[in-house]
Amino acid sequence: MSQLSVDEILQELHRIFAEEIEAAIRYLHLANAVRGVERLVVEPKLQEGFRSTIEHAQIIARKIRELGAVPKLELSLSLPPDSIGARAAFELALTFEEAALEAYQDLLKKVAGDVALEEFVRSQITIECEHIAELKQLLAE
Amino acid sequence: MQTWKEFDANVITHSAAHHLMAVDDLIQRLGYARVSDVARQLNITRGSVSISLQPLKKAGLIVQDENRHLRLSEHGQALVDAVKVKRRIVQRLFAELLGVAEQQAEIDACKLEHLVSNETARRLISFLRFMDLHRDVAAEFLGRWRTVDPSCGEQAAACPTCEKECMARKVSDPPES
Repeated sequence: MSQLSVDEILQELHRIFAEEIEAAIRYLHLANAVRGVERLVVEPKLQEGFRSTIEHAQIIARKIRELGAVPKLELSLSLPPDSIGARAAFELALTFEEAALEAYQDLLKKVAGDVALEEFVRSQITIECEHIAELKQLLAE
Repeated sequence: MQTWKEFDANVITHSAAHHLMAVDDLIQRLGYARVSDVARQLNITRGSVSISLQPLKKAGLIVQDENRHLRLSEHGQALVDAVKVKRRIVQRLFAELLGVAEQQAEIDACKLEHLVSNETARRLISFLRFMDLHRDVAAEFLGRWRTVDPSCGEQAAACPTCEKECMARKVSDPPES
């Protein structure tokens, strides 16, 4: 069994739910803020990031629901109306994707013993790692 | 630079000041500070913290080691110490001397702490020191001052403080509906 109570697991899931929703909003913002000739290539990637993080948020929301709760969300987000270059947009995306990965990695340590939750978190970690690897490839010189 | 532009160009935004102080507070309490700890302390996401820390790292105020532990640079620590002092003196000035309610004084000090210049802070410290060193003078001064009604009513033209209109009326809270 996990070392966490259901309430503590829910608290962790609510935090990750906020990470994913916030990342989705940031992707959407970046997709519309990016300028320059590379926009044609970059915008679809950022839109894809938006769709994918929203999907992750939905998966987390479903998990929260399975544990008998309703997803809770508290965000404090302010996004500037400034345009951004392709590289800077991917660098920002990498920053918040890495933060999300760390959140899942921390959760994995906490749910050790709960096979179903462990498997779920592991699968999320795999997906996050793929996103990060792709972003790093895009940022490679 | 115009003052309002200088306000916008301030490296230490309100949010940045809170990130720096959270790192300082965590290190003092736990001996370490990670992005996840700062996120919990400020009740925001890790993504937000990571993004907010970027300009602070670039400005050399925060350093992250290979274990992803955060620490303040010498410059960052000096900045946090100065902000804390400014919060304390503004809070004391508002609550103890001006008689603003403790909670409101704390809120207002929090809003101003990172905006007050060192020069103004030094003058405020000097003022507080004077009031602390000369408690009898301070008590008499404050006693007399507290009897003054901030509003000059409709007599703004004759008021030595107000200009065209009564300033106190301009800052009075609207009646509750």
